[in-house]
Amino acid sequence: MTQFLLQTSWWVPCYGLIGAALTLPWAAGLIHRTGPRPAAYFNLLMSVLAFIHGSAIFRATWNQEPQQLLFHWLNTADLDLSLALDISSVSLGAMELITGLSLLAQLFALGYMEKDWALARFFALMGFFQGAMSGLAISDSLFLSYALLEMLTLSTYLLVGFWYAQPLVVTAARDAFLTKRVGDVLLLMGVVALASLSGSLNFPDLYAWAETTTLTPTAATLLGLSLIAGPTGKCAQVPLHLWLDEAMEGPNPASILRNSVVVACGAYVLIKLQPILALSPVALTTLIVLGTITAIGTSLVAIAQIDIKRTLSHSTSAYLGLVFIALGTQRTGFALLLLLTHAIAKALLFMSVGSVIATTNCQNVTELGGLWSRMPATSSAFVVGGAGLVGLVPLGGFWALQQGIDIFWIEQPWLVPVWLLVNGLTALNLTRVYRLVFLGQPQPKTRRAPEVPWSMAVPMVSLTIVTLLVPAMLQRLTLVPLDWGYFSRVQVLALVLSGLAGCSIGATIYLHKAWSRSVYLPSRVLQDWLAYDFYIDRLYRLTFVLAVNLISRCSAWFDRYVVDGLVNGVGLASIFSGESLKYSLTGQSQTYLLTIFVSVGFLGVLLTWSMW
Amino acid sequence: MIKTTLRSSTHPLAAYIEQLKTGGGLVPDRPENVLEVVGILKSYGVVLEAYYKNLLYIAEHQFLELFPFFKYFNGEVSPAKLLRHWWHDRINFEYAEYCMKAMFWHGGGGLDAYLDSPEFRTRAQSVIQAKVQGNWLISGLNQLFPEFLPEQVRQFTYYSALGQFWRVMSEIFLTLSDHYDQGKIESIPQVVAHIQAGLVAAATLPITYAVTVRGQVYDIIPESVGLTFLPDTAVPYVEAVFFRGTPFLGTVSYNAQANQISPDPSRFNYGALYADPLPIGGAGIPPTLLMQDMRHFLPEYLHQVYRQNLRGEDDLRVQICQSFQKSMFCVTTAAILGLAPYPLDTADPEQQQANQSYFEQWMDRFLSSRLEDVQA
Amino acid sequence: MLSALIWIPILGVALLGFWPSPIADNRTRRLALIVAGVALLWTIILASRFSAANVGPQFLENLPWIEPLGLSYKLSLDGLSLPLVAINSLLTWIAIYSSDESIHRPRLYYALILLINAGVAGAFLAQNLLLFFLFYELELIPLYLLIAIWGGPRRGYAATKFLIYTAVSGILILAAFLGLTGLSGSSSFNYNPLLTQALPLGQQFLLLGALLVGFGIKIPLVPFHTWLPDAHVEASTPVSVLLAGVLLKLGTYGLLRFGLGLFPEAWAIWAPWLASWAVVSVLYGAFTAIAQKDMKQMVAYSSIAHMGYVLLACAAATPLSILGTVFQMISHGLISALLFLLVGVVYKKTGSRDLNVLRGLLNTERGLPLIGSLMVLGVMASAGIPGMVGFISEFLVFRGSFPVFPTQTLLCMVGTGLTSVYFLLLVNNTFFGRLTVPSQGTQRLGDVNLPPVQWVERTPAIALTILIFVLGLQPGWMVRWTETTTTALVVNSTVAQVSTAANGFKADSAMRVPIKAAPATRPLPNGETLRSDLSVIVPRSGSND
Repeated sequence: MTQFLLQTSWWVPCYGLIGAALTLPWAAGLIHRTGPRPAAYFNLLMSVLAFIHGSAIFRATWNQEPQQLLFHWLNTADLDLSLALDISSVSLGAMELITGLSLLAQLFALGYMEKDWALARFFALMGFFQGAMSGLAISDSLFLSYALLEMLTLSTYLLVGFWYAQPLVVTAARDAFLTKRVGDVLLLMGVVALASLSGSLNFPDLYAWAETTTLTPTAATLLGLSLIAGPTGKCAQVPLHLWLDEAMEGPNPASILRNSVVVACGAYVLIKLQPILALSPVALTTLIVLGTITAIGTSLVAIAQIDIKRTLSHSTSAYLGLVFIALGTQRTGFALLLLLTHAIAKALLFMSVGSVIATTNCQNVTELGGLWSRMPATSSAFVVGGAGLVGLVPLGGFWALQQGIDIFWIEQPWLVPVWLLVNGLTALNLTRVYRLVFLGQPQPKTRRAPEVPWSMAVPMVSLTIVTLLVPAMLQRLTLVPLDWGYFSRVQVLALVLSGLAGCSIGATIYLHKAWSRSVYLPSRVLQDWLAYDFYIDRLYRLTFVLAVNLISRCSAWFDRYVVDGLVNGVGLASIFSGESLKYSLTGQSQTYLLTIFVSVGFLGVLLTWSMW
Repeated sequence: MIKTTLRSSTHPLAAYIEQLKTGGGLVPDRPENVLEVVGILKSYGVVLEAYYKNLLYIAEHQFLELFPFFKYFNGEVSPAKLLRHWWHDRINFEYAEYCMKAMFWHGGGGLDAYLDSPEFRTRAQSVIQAKVQGNWLISGLNQLFPEFLPEQVRQFTYYSALGQFWRVMSEIFLTLSDHYDQGKIESIPQVVAHIQAGLVAAATLPITYAVTVRGQVYDIIPESVGLTFLPDTAVPYVEAVFFRGTPFLGTVSYNAQANQISPDPSRFNYGALYADPLPIGGAGIPPTLLMQDMRHFLPEYLHQVYRQNLRGEDDLRVQICQSFQKSMFCVTTAAILGLAPYPLDTADPEQQQANQSYFEQWMDRFLSSRLEDVQA
Repeated sequence: MLSALIWIPILGVALLGFWPSPIADNRTRRLALIVAGVALLWTIILASRFSAANVGPQFLENLPWIEPLGLSYKLSLDGLSLPLVAINSLLTWIAIYSSDESIHRPRLYYALILLINAGVAGAFLAQNLLLFFLFYELELIPLYLLIAIWGGPRRGYAATKFLIYTAVSGILILAAFLGLTGLSGSSSFNYNPLLTQALPLGQQFLLLGALLVGFGIKIPLVPFHTWLPDAHVEASTPVSVLLAGVLLKLGTYGLLRFGLGLFPEAWAIWAPWLASWAVVSVLYGAFTAIAQKDMKQMVAYSSIAHMGYVLLACAAATPLSILGTVFQMISHGLISALLFLLVGVVYKKTGSRDLNVLRGLLNTERGLPLIGSLMVLGVMASAGIPGMVGFISEFLVFRGSFPVFPTQTLLCMVGTGLTSVYFLLLVNNTFFGRLTVPSQGTQRLGDVNLPPVQWVERTPAIALTILIFVLGLQPGWMVRWTETTTTALVVNSTVAQVSTAANGFKADSAMRVPIKAAPATRPLPNGETLRSDLSVIVPRSGSND
C-alpha cells in the first residue's frame, strides 16, 4: 500500500493540470449561456484531491528513505532527458504546503472574484500554477525543474495579465515576464552547460559529478552565476526584483500564492542546486551579497510604500533575501525553515489585505483606517500574520529568525546585524500598516466596512489557526529544538529587542493621513527614492531598455537603408524585367501555366547547354 | 415674450437642457430607440424582480447567519435546484449584492444618516443580543469587536432597502413593457413620463425593516423614522449606482502610487452612465453579470434586432449594455424631471432661472458621461 | 510509392489548369482540398510504413531519365526528409483550407499552390543533384506568381525581388552541383556522400561557398535576407504560411544534405565561421524584429532569427545538434505557420497589422479572444516555453551545439531572450488594453464593430496549436523517425573526414588555403569527434560523454 502510494505521487501535480484543463469549455467561451462557476468548483475539487492524496503520501514517507521515480521522456544520441521525481518527506512536505495554500487561495478567490465573469480562466491559471509548483517541489531533475520554472514564468505572466484591459496591467505583465525571462535565459545557459559537462541533468547524477569534477575556477564561477540568475529573478532579488511590485496589479488571490510559494520556488531550486553552487565560492558570495542588499534595501522600500499590497510585497523580497543569505552560507535546512514560516505568514497577510481591498475598494493605506472593530477576522489575520513573520512572539518567524542568529552568531557574526535590522524594519513596517489600516478614525472609504462573507473568511480564519499552530508543527517535524535550554539568552534577547524596537517605532512615528511629502528637502528626496524603488525602473530604462531600443533601431535602419538599399540600388536594372513580367499578367490562366513549363523547359536547355 | 428674459445657457451641454425643458429626453426620440429602451427595461424588470425578492429574502431570513450557504435559494432547497445552482444555471444574485454594497459604501440620504443614530444603535443591539444569545463564540466576538455585528446589521438594512426600491422599479418597468405591448407607448417622452409617474406615485412610500428572531419581531427601521422611497432610496441609489459606482478592477488600477482613483468617493465616475460598454464580458467587469442575466429575458423583438447586427449573438452582452445605458439615461431623465424644483412650464422667470441652474448642475455631471454616445 | 507525392499534386494541377469546361469556384477549392488531402493521407501511410531503424534510403525509386546528362529520376525517403515531407503536405492542406473562399481566379491559384507542393516534395525526395535542382526551381515560379497576382499593394516589387534573389540562389546551387560533378569526374549527378573525397580542399571550399550562399539566400541568412520581409508582407496569408513553413526549409535541408553531407571536411574547417554567422543572423534578426511596427514584418524577422539556430546546429554537427536542426525546422514550420495564420485573421478583421494602432484585441465580445489566446500560445511557443515544440527543439540545438561552440551557442541563447522581447511587445500592444482598431470613417469611441471570426478561420490555427503541444510533450514520436538518419549523417561525415583527413590536410597546405583561419582553440579534423572546444572549460576534454 505504502509503495503504491509513493508510486502515485506524480499524480498530485497532475490534479492541478487536470483541473486547469477541465475549465477549458468555460474559459474558451464554449459554454456561455450558464456561468463559469462549475469550472471553479472542478478546480477546487481537484485541489482537495491533491491535498488529500498528498497528505496520505506525506504520512507514508515519514521516516522512510527517499526514493526516486524515473520516467524516461526523451532518449536520443547522448542525451537522456528523464523526468525524475524525488519522493522524500522534505519534497512531499513542500508539495503539501503548496497544495494546501493553493487550496485556501482558491477558496478565497471564490469569494474575492465572485463578480468576475472570467472566473474560469482565473481558476485554470491557478490550477496550472499549482500543478507546476507542486511538480517543482518533487522534481529531482534540473531539466524538469527548469521547465517548470519557465511554466511558472508563463503563468505569472498570464495571471498578472488577467485583467488584460487595464492599462497598467499591460506593462506589468510584460515586465514580469521579461524580468523573469532574463533570469531564465541565463539559467538555461547554465542548464545547457551543466548538461554538456556532466552528461545528465538528474540531481543525484549532478551531485556525483560535482564531487569529482575538476572544473576550472572561472568555469565554475560562470556556471554558478548563471544558475543563480534564474532564481534571482524568481525570488525577486536585486537587481531583478521590480516585477514583484508590478505584479501586484494582478488579482489578489494570485498574489497570495505569488508572495508565499511562487517566489519560494526559485529558492527551492537553489536548495536543490546547492552542491553545484558549492563548487564556486564566488557564486556563494554573490548569493550572500545579493541577499543582503535585497533584504535591507527592500525592507526600507517597503516602509515608504503607500499601496497596501506593495507594503507587503517588498517585504517578501526582503525575506527571500534572508533565504539567499542562508543559501550563500550553505544552510539549506535553515533556508527551508525560513521559506516555510514565511510562506504561511505571508499568505495570511495577503488574505487579510485582500479582504480590506474587497470591502473598501481601496489600496491606499493613507485613505484607510478604523477597520479593526468591524472586521474581526481580517484584523486578527493581519495581527497573527504579522506576528508569524517577525521575531517577537514565539510563532513561526521567531523560531526561523532565531535559528538564523544562532547559526551566524559564531561563524559569520557580521550577518547577525543584517538579521536584526530586517526583523526590526519588518516589524516597523507591519506596525505602521496596521495602524494606518485598522486603527484610527474611519475615513470616507472605510466608513462602511462590513466583514467579508464566509467564502473569504473561512480560508482566512483557517490559515490564522494554522499560523498559530506553526510552532507546534515545527516541533513535530523536529525542525526546531525542543528544550529551551538550547537557546542562548543573549540571542533571543537581541531578536526580541529588535522586533520590539521596530514595533515601538512603528507605533509611535507620526503618520501622515493625507499622503504628503516631507517639506524638508533631504528627507523628501530619501522618501521618494525609497517610495519609487530606488528609481531602479528608471535606471533600467536608461540602460538596458535604451540599449536594446537603440540597437534594434540601428539594425532596423541598417537593414532598411544599407542592406536593402544596396540591393535595391543593384536591383534597379531588374525593374525592366519586373515590368515585362507584369505585362504578361493580364492573360488567361493557361498562359501562366505555359510560362511555367516554358521556363522549366528553358532551364532544361540551359542545363544541356552547359554540359556540352 | 418671457423666454427672452432668460439668458440661454452657455453650458457645453446646453442643447440637452433645451431638450429637457421642451419635454424631450436625453435619448433621441426615434422608434428604434423606443423599441430598444422598452425591450431592455422589460428584461431588466424581470431580472430586478428576481433580485429584489432575493434581497428581501436575505434581509429577512438570512439575518446574521454566519454561513448563509443557501442565501440565493429563497428558501427552496431541492436537489435539482442545488444541481442547477452548482452548474451556475441561475440568476447572478451577486450583482444585486454588488449594487447593495456600492449603495451602502457611498451612503447618502436619510437611511445612511439613520444608521449612525443612537436609535439605530439601541435597536441593533437588542436584535443582536437576541440573535447571539446562547452562542458563546459569537457573543464573545461581539464583545471583543463591538462594531462587528452592528456593521453587519447596517448592511442588512441596505439589503432590505434596495430590495424595496427595486420592487417598485421592477413594477414600473414591467408595466411599461405591458403598455408598450398594448400600443400605448410610442415615444421616448412617453417612456420618461411613465417612469416619472411611477416614481412620483411611490415617492412617499415608507421604507421599513423588521426581522423575526426567535419568534419575536424586531423593528430595525420603524415607520416612525420616516424614511421614504424617493429621497432615502431612489436618490442615493441613482447617486451610488448611476453616477459614482466603484472602479472596475478590469479597467482601473487600484495601485495607490498610480493615483488613478480619486481619494474622494463623491468624485467617482464609474457608474452606469459612465461605464464603457466595450469591455463587458471580459475580466473584472462586474456589470457583465447583469447583462448575462438580462440575455435570458430579452423580448423577441429586441433579440431579433441584436441578431441582425454584425456579430449577432457573439457580442450580445455588449449590445445589451449599450441599450441598457440608453434606458438608464431615460430613467435618469425621469428622475431629473421629477426632482426639478419648479414645474417646467412655469412662467416665473426666477423659477425658470432656478430650473436652469438645476439642469446645469446635472449637465456638469454628464460632461464625462456617455451621453454623447447614446445619441448615435 | 514516393512518386505519388509528386504526381498527385501535379495531377491536381493538370485537372485544375486544363479542364476544358469552367469549374465552379467552390468546386475548385474542394478539388484542391481533396488533392492535397490525398497527398497528406499518402504521406501518413508512408510514415506508418517507414522503418525507423533503417539507416539507408527507403522506398527507393530509380528510373534512368537523361543518361548523358547524368540526370536520373531517383527518389528516396529517410529520417531527414520524412518530417519535412510531412510538414509540406500538412501545411499545403492548411494553406488551401485557409485561403479566401471568394479568391479571384481560383483555378490558377489552387493549381499554383499544388504545383509548389509537388516541387517541394520532389526536392525533399530527390536523390539526384540535378533532379533536386529541377524541383528547387519548380517551386520558384508559382510562388512568384502567387505573390505577384494575389499580393498586397507592393506585390510587384516584392515578387520581383523574390524572383531575382531565388534565381541567383538557384544559379549558385546549380553551379556548385555542376562543379562538383565535373571536378570529381563522376558521370552521374546521383547523390553520393563520397563524391568529394578526392577533391582538394580548395575546390571543396569553392563549391561549398557557392552552396552556402545559394542556400543562405533561401533560408535566409543575413545579409541575404531582405527579400523575405517584403515577400511576407505582400504575400497573402496562405502563401506566407507556405513560404515560412515549408519553402525556407528547402534552404536548411539543402545545407544539411548537400553542404554538410557532401563536404564534411571543408564544412568542419568552416564550422566556427558558420556558427558565428548563425549568431549574427540570430541577433540581427531578433534586434531588427524589435523595431518593427508591422506584425507580419515582425514575424518575418523572427523567422530569420529562428532559422539562424538551424545554421548553428548544422555547424556544430553533433548527432544531437543535427537532430536539433530537424526539430527546429519542424517547430519553426509549425509555429511560424500558426503565427502567420493568426496575423492573417487579425488583418482580415481589422484591416491593420500596425502595432501602433491596434489595441485590446483580446476583448471577449467584440474582439478576437480565441485568436488572441492562440496568439499568446504561439508566441510563447516561439519564445521556447516548455510544453511546446519550440522549447525542445531549441534545447536540442543548444545542448547539441554547446560542446562544440560554447560562445556562439550562448550568444544564440540571447536570441531566445530577445524573442520574448519582441513577441511580448506584439502581444501586449495589440491584444491587451482597451479594444481599438483603425477608425472606419465616423466611428465613435464605443462602437468598435469587427466582423465575427468564423470557425473555418479558427480550425487550422487550433490544429497547428494542438500539434505544437503534442510534439512539445512527446518529442519522442518525432525523434524515432529521424534519429537514425541524423546520427548516420554525422557518422558518415566523420568517417569521410577520417578517411581523407591526412589527404585533405596535405592538399590544404599545398594549395595554401589559409588554414590558420580556423580558430586555434579548435584542432583541425583529426579523426576525433568535433567537440573539442570544451577544453576551454574542462581540462579533461573529450571524456564528457
